[in-house]
Amino acid sequence: MAYEPQYYPGATSVAENRRKHMSGKVEKLRDISDEDLTLILGHRAPGSDYPSTHPPLAEMGEPEDSVRELVEPTPGAKAGDRVRYVQFVDSMYNAPSTPYFRSYAAAINFRGVDPGTLSGRQVVEARERDMEELAKFQIETEMTCPALAGLRGATVHGHSLRLPEDGVMFDMLERVRKEGDNIIMHKDQVGRPIDKKVNLGKPMSEEEAAKRTTIYRVDNVAFRDDDEVIEWVQRVFDQRTIYGFKPEN
Amino acid sequence: MADDRQRKFAKQMEIKFTKEHGTNKMEGGEITDKTVKYYRLGVDQNPRKLEMKKAGAELAKKRGLVGYNPMMHCGGIPLGQRALTPSFLSGTDMMVEIDDLHYVNNSAMQQMWDDIRRSIVVGMDLAHETLEKRLGIEVTPETINHYLETLNHALPGGAVVQEHMVETHPALVDDCYVKMFTGDDELADEIDSQFLIDINKEFPEEQAEQIKEAIGKTSWQAAHIPTIVSRTTDGGQTSRWMAMQVGMSFISAYSMCAGEAAVADLSYAAKHAGVIQMGDMLPARRARAPNEPGGIPFGHMADIVQTSRVDPEDPAHVALEVVGAGCMLYDQIWLGSYMSGGVGFTQYATAAYCNNILDDNLYYNVDYINDKYDGAANKGTDNKIAANLDVVKDIATESTIYGLENYEKYPTTLEDHFGGSQRATSLSAAAGSAVSIATGNGNAGLSGWYLSMYLHKEALGRLGFFGYDLQDQCGATNVLSYQSDEGLAVELRGPNYPNYAMNVGHQGGYTAIAASAHAGRGDAFAVNPLIKVAFADSLLPFDFTAPRKEFGRGALREFEPAGERSLIIPAK
Repeated sequence: MAYEPQYYPGATSVAENRRKHMSGKVEKLRDISDEDLTLILGHRAPGSDYPSTHPPLAEMGEPEDSVRELVEPTPGAKAGDRVRYVQFVDSMYNAPSTPYFRSYAAAINFRGVDPGTLSGRQVVEARERDMEELAKFQIETEMTCPALAGLRGATVHGHSLRLPEDGVMFDMLERVRKEGDNIIMHKDQVGRPIDKKVNLGKPMSEEEAAKRTTIYRVDNVAFRDDDEVIEWVQRVFDQRTIYGFKPEN
Repeated sequence: MADDRQRKFAKQMEIKFTKEHGTNKMEGGEITDKTVKYYRLGVDQNPRKLEMKKAGAELAKKRGLVGYNPMMHCGGIPLGQRALTPSFLSGTDMMVEIDDLHYVNNSAMQQMWDDIRRSIVVGMDLAHETLEKRLGIEVTPETINHYLETLNHALPGGAVVQEHMVETHPALVDDCYVKMFTGDDELADEIDSQFLIDINKEFPEEQAEQIKEAIGKTSWQAAHIPTIVSRTTDGGQTSRWMAMQVGMSFISAYSMCAGEAAVADLSYAAKHAGVIQMGDMLPARRARAPNEPGGIPFGHMADIVQTSRVDPEDPAHVALEVVGAGCMLYDQIWLGSYMSGGVGFTQYATAAYCNNILDDNLYYNVDYINDKYDGAANKGTDNKIAANLDVVKDIATESTIYGLENYEKYPTTLEDHFGGSQRATSLSAAAGSAVSIATGNGNAGLSGWYLSMYLHKEALGRLGFFGYDLQDQCGATNVLSYQSDEGLAVELRGPNYPNYAMNVGHQGGYTAIAASAHAGRGDAFAVNPLIKVAFADSLLPFDFTAPRKEFGRGALREFEPAGERSLIIPAK
């Protein structure tokens, strides 16, 4: 019987959403053009070549190496791209994703990525075109609500703050704002103004966010109520503790 | 367990988040509201920031070189896009500006560390044996009193033996002194009261008996070298300065020959054989002398804080005061400055001792434990519950989920603890301290700390700063195993313990966990009775019975520090 990853325990919608994020089987909700993506990431001018840090691997005359034969380089590595980042901030008020589940999603479903997981932000570093592939995936799918999540390279304060009246997560640099029914981004990740407004699409309604979220909240799906998750956390704790006594057992 | 209790942070949240301060325009609303209007008023909304802005402008004008300018923040977008809120010192009504909780802006915080760094405990018995057995000099309570009078002249920098000596000005070193203490009540009765830390008077009767039994008939000096000396040099200076003056005082008080060989024995006793440092020296890669914060074991720090002798019936209060002192020293000063050089560590630490959020969580736990485990959170030894994994899981899980739900039910608390590391410190310190209090076992408490971290991470899908992944995910494995450096009693662990050396927001919690186990049992001390007694002394500038109140006094500019130089600088 073929192995099917289970990813995560739990019987609640939050647990189910966590499994979806980890498996990569998430719903696509919107499109973002390559030009818009490049603009908001802010690493290079739209349409420009990818800056490189070394020649394409094919031109480098690499030494014989069994690992190199086993592992197919990512497109970015093949081309010699520099390493750049995408960093997300997710509100604790039912943003669809959370730092750990962005990291799990990246590490499980993408190659050549280096996720970093904090409380208020989650960064992925990778070769530039590989990073863009991941960023596009996460922005376009149900992993992201443009009002409750944002791309922020610096000054990330906001994930735990009360929501402003328009429901757009606080950002001291106001990189995004609500215009009509849509969320537009008019500064790049680190807050530099960009040449055009990038339309990130409609925000999720409160109900939709509550349905799609991966965070437990007492006013939505309470952590206390997901017995299986708590049981497994305690089991991990037991095993790690007991392992300290007699590793041979 | 009823969850409708009055939250201890409710008043603080109401004042912080629904009322105006300065010109911050915050008004109305409930502490349970999930939305708010952000006015983006910048630094001009906050009185202290305004004062700093003015000082920065004056400085630039005076010296012709720019300095502090809040408009340099984020390319011209200053702090204060959200409301700049003040904080309350937990357990007090003292409302302060958060800038004033940075140790640079807080003389009480500086003095707490000064008072620890400049303190040392020195045995008297080795010296007395040398005098009596080797030199045939009689040592009596009268000679001890005379010696202590001599040393209180010499320790601050007064000459006792040689002619034509420079001396330090008494007004600059007025915080320097020595007192003695002993477990021998008969000897204590004979010591001039000005020189004595009277164990019977400073400690509750039950604790005094424990301490006297531990100390026995031995006699000790608690010496505090001048703050100004300690600040100019380092913690390693404390033993040297003390030993030099102790040696000179013995020579003078007992009319010894300044060059006789026995003096070397006295020096050796004072510098090495009979000395208790507050902290050990650190290995070369961190290169700090003894009596620097990285070498102070959590158990020593637990003993330095004195709440346990003035409020012994409330173990949670003991834990909370220890958290405050520990977070300030280990997070703000040790990791924040010595180790990282940063400025922002302050707010990791203040989360643990401001606005009653941790207090609420821990007192909830006390109620939970007392209800479920028949009063196990009350002070005592017969009422404790077994330190096993089932107990750890039950208490730490309930504690953590209660704390998490508060952040969800009261969005203002989430905004107050705006960083995951702050929340992780508060939640885990509550869980760990509660398990310690209930079991009387610090390592069980530490185990509760780690489970709390796991639960927090899974509930919110986030935890703290990067390092929390390492330190808090692997820690459970070496809590209850004692294999080489993989495991150790929490009381004997310290800031330089493997995996503990890199991550802010933990060490104050670990200190509280160590203290809680002993406060829960009603122990007079955690590790070292000598250190506990040395700081049971109201003559110290910093009041170690109430660190959080002292930090508040520092923030309100009411605290009078030692080691000031006003006497020798131009008057302003």
